[in-house]
Formats: sequence, C-alpha cells, structure tokens
Amino acid sequence: MIQFDKVTKRYPGSDEILKNISFNIDAGEFVFLTGHSGAGKSTLLKLIAATERPTSGTVLIANQNVSQLKPSAIPFLRRRFGLIFQDHKLLYDRNCFENVILPLHINGVTGQEAAKRVRAALDKVGLLNKEKAMPITLSGGEQQRLAIARAVVSRPSILLADEPTGNLDASYAADIMAIFYAFNQVGVTVIMSTHDALGMSARQNRVMHINQGSLTEHLLKEPHLDQAPSSVERFTS
Amino acid sequence: MNNWLNQHIQTLKLVLSRMHNNMLSTFMICLVIGVAMCLPSLFYLAVDNLSKLTDHMQKDTEISLFLKVDANTDEIKEVERQLAKNQGIANFHLVTKEEAWQQLQTKSRSNQEISDAVSQLGKNPLPDAFFIQAKSSDPDSLIRLKDTLQNLPSVELALLNTEWVKRLSSLLSLGKKLISMIAGLLAIVLLVIIGNTVRMQILTQKDEIEVSNLIGATRSFIRMPFLYAGALYGLFGGLMAVLMLIGIIQAFNLSISQIAHLYSNDFSVTLFDTQLFLAVIISAISIGWIGSYIAVSRAIASYKIN
Ligand SMILES: Nc1ncnc2c1ncn2[C@@H]1O[C@H](COP(=O)(O)OP(=O)(O)O)[C@@H](O)[C@H]1O
Ligand SMILES: [Mg+2]
Repeated sequence: MIQFDKVTKRYPGSDEILKNISFNIDAGEFVFLTGHSGAGKSTLLKLIAATERPTSGTVLIANQNVSQLKPSAIPFLRRRFGLIFQDHKLLYDRNCFENVILPLHINGVTGQEAAKRVRAALDKVGLLNKEKAMPITLSGGEQQRLAIARAVVSRPSILLADEPTGNLDASYAADIMAIFYAFNQVGVTVIMSTHDALGMSARQNRVMHINQGSLTEHLLKEPHLDQAPSSVERFTS
Repeated sequence: MNNWLNQHIQTLKLVLSRMHNNMLSTFMICLVIGVAMCLPSLFYLAVDNLSKLTDHMQKDTEISLFLKVDANTDEIKEVERQLAKNQGIANFHLVTKEEAWQQLQTKSRSNQEISDAVSQLGKNPLPDAFFIQAKSSDPDSLIRLKDTLQNLPSVELALLNTEWVKRLSSLLSLGKKLISMIAGLLAIVLLVIIGNTVRMQILTQKDEIEVSNLIGATRSFIRMPFLYAGALYGLFGGLMAVLMLIGIIQAFNLSISQIAHLYSNDFSVTLFDTQLFLAVIISAISIGWIGSYIAVSRAIASYKIN
C-alpha cells in the first residue's frame, strides 16, 4: 500500500535528512516510527502524505507514483489519509464541531450527513459533549483527541499521526493509544511517530527507527515498559 | 448536485458570519466601494439628463429674424412674402415692434428695477421680428436657412437659438468620454482596495488555508470563500451606491425640475434609472470577484500550495 524505493530527501539548503530509504507498509498494519528529535520522522510522514516530494527515489501510494502525479491530483491523494499533525493545526477561530467538519466539506459532504458523521467522530474520541466548545478551552489531551476526530471523520484508510502523545502525560497518552488501536482493529492502517515507542505499546508492533538518515526496523514484542530499546531490537536494516 | 449546492450555501454562510463578526470593517469597505461607484454614476446621470434636455431643445428649433429698426410696412410685407415662399420653413409669425414693446412693459411691471429701466428708455427701441419654425431639425440645413434669411433685405440679424445648445451637447459628449475614463480609473482603484482587503483576510485565515491544503482541499475550494467575500463586498457596496444615488437625486430633484420648468419643457429627471443601478451593482460585484481572485491566486502561489 505504501512503498518507498531508495527515497532520499533533502530540503533546500539542508543535508540529506533521509538517505536511500526503502520499505513497504501493507494495509492494516500498525507501525511506529521512532528516532530522536530532528531525525526526520515528520519528514517521512510528509513524504507519505504527499505534502513533501522526495529529492530522489520513488514513493508509491496505492501504486501511484507521487512524483508523477499532476498537481491537480494531489488533493485527491491526500484525502486517503487522516493526518494528525505534531502541532495539531486546529483552527482556533471556530468551535470543535466546525473543526471536525472541515474535511467533510473538502470532500463535498454537507448537511445532515456531515453533522451525523461529525458527532460519530467526536463520540469516538469522547468529545461529544464539547461540540460547541472552542478548541482553546480544551485541555492538551482533549485538543489532541479533537485533532484525531478531524483526522478520522472522513473515514480514511490510513492514519498518519505525528507524535500524537508527545506532550501528554501517561494517562492521556494511554487514552489516545487505545483510540488508535481501536481504529487499527477495524482495518485502518496506522503509522505513528513517537520518541518512545516502548512506553506506548501494549502489543506486538512493527517499529521503524530513523537514525542519521537511515532506517532500521524491529519488532516490538511485549509491553515491557521499562526495557531499553536495544534489548528487543531485531535489526533487519 | 445537491452536495455541490450545499457546499456553496455553507461557504456563503461562513463568509456572511465572518462579515457579521467584522461589521465595522465590512461597512467601511462597502462604503468605500459605494462612494467610488456613486461618483461616476452621478456624473453620468447629470450628463445623461442634460443631453436628453438638449436633444429635446434641439427639436423645437426657432430662428429669430430681427428687422432693421427703420423698416417700413412695405419692407415687412416683402420679408413676409419671402418667408412664405421658402420651402424650409414650417411656419412663422410676426411680432411687431409695438407688440414687443407692450409685452416688455407688461412683463417688467412685476419687477421694479426693470420697469424703471424700461420707462427711462422713453421711446420704443425694439425692432419688428419674425419667429420662424424650420421644417428640418438637422443642424446643417438650419444654418443654411439662417444664412439665407440673414441675406434678405432689411434684415438686421438672423438668430439660430439652438447654437448654444449644440455647443453644450458637444461639450456633453466630451463629458461622456471623461466619465468612462474616470469610471475606468475608479475600477482600478477598487480592484486594488478590494484585493488588499481580501489579502488581509487571507492573512488572518492563513491557518485555515494551510490546513485545508494539507488535508486535500483543491485550489478552487480554498479560493471559494474569498471569492464570495469579494463578490459580497461588491454587492453591498453597489447597493450602497444605489441608495446614495437615490438619496442625492431625490435631494436635487426639486431644483432640477425647477430648471426644467424654466424651459417650459415636459422634461423630467428619471429617479429610478434601473439600467444604471443594475450596471452599478453588476460591475461592483464583478470588480469584487476579480479583485479577490487576483489576491487569492497570488496568496496561493506565495504559500507554495501544491
Ligand atoms: N521545511 C524544512 N526546510 C528545511 N529543513 C527542514 C524542514 N523541515 C524539517 N527540516 C529539517 O529536517 C530535519 C528533520 O526534521 P523533522 O522531520 O521535523 O524531524 P523529527 O520530526 O524527527 O523531529 C531537521 O533537521 C529539520 O531542521
Ligand atoms: Mg517531528
């Protein structure tokens, strides 16, 4: 479903952030993306969502080569994804309901149908009673859940979450993880970046680790919360 | 189809509620548009009505033929015969110097100064005169007729009353050209003003544009609310211009009709020039739309939205 082949990414004037990266993610997978701050996790997610283009190599999304798509086709590719941004990117001039309905409007869904779906999404993240609230009045964890509601409201088949638990304390983070697992359970592909995959995981997961621009993979087996990554790493490179 | 319509309604609602939240600045921009549209329209109305008036006056053209003061009855008879023979003349009548003198005295009786002046004259200074209605209202043939009459014996002066009207109407056609130039310049100014207003909105709406772009909005979706905003500014501004025009016309209507009365014409100023009003509103909407289209296209390009 998502294929990277020898992908290199360099921003104008920067070094190579990602070097010659290849991997394959199938539909329905739950993948953690780890690496220290500045390693290139967000960059990799942006390449998947086609908000950045690779410098070289090919990115295939559902067998479409992103570099060869016409600019007018890009918006329609992006609608396949539910995006949860590292900085939320909520719109603070409108209430929760209006924030969540935006992707539906973009997809041309309006009226009663849209309202029904917005409430279903808000319900899934436990914010149904806050639909009229302004995002600024919500706690950090609630804002993050609102961002998730917006990402899932148009029922995307792939969720891309950029450090969704980054600034949250443990109980909030566990809530959020539970939500992601629930989506994954019903077949949604989830790719989530985090700086501590181990603290998050409650089950066996694939972990892609970025270091110095290269990608290494291992399986995260058991929820040994305190274990150092090295003890469970199985490099496949 | 239904969704498409809903989407537009949704956008319109959003834009209207934003305008409602920024009532004052919305009012200001509409006022600017209104005044800018009002000015050339007023000029237009003035020129248009004046040229209608002059057209009207050119129709009942009259040539005044003043005879020499010492012309005797035979000479008058001779002129009268010449006039009767002339093919270009529809009808004419004679006002003798005695009749004219009497009329002057009657008319001046109400005004003390004039009547004093008249009585100081003592003897009648007025000549006999013919007032002649030409068949044609074509300016060239009128001038030819006037020249012919001027050359008749014992004629002191032939006066074509419409000469000043003609001069005025050529001035007015110059005025019309001037109006279209002013209107063109104001249109450019409005494009800049509306474009700038929309550009400011785009700045405050930057997050929305960015997020929409990231989650798969097309360019036309991103443009839509701003285009609506521009068009609505145009609409409200145009309506404001129409209201101002109606107010101003009404205020001046009285004096204008008095002027018209002076010329004893059945001339009246059109209060509701529907075509003009429609033109004002439609051009305001178009200018609003185009101005915001330019602004939002430039913004999209500068945000490197792909
Ligand atoms: N738009 C950009 N232009 C230039 N450099 C960038 C840009 N975005 C990210 N970078 C650089 O790329 C590197 C990786 O950034 P990022 O992908 O955000 O890392 P992470 O999400 O893992 O913290 C950083 O050094 C960052 O400074
Ligand atoms: Mg990041």
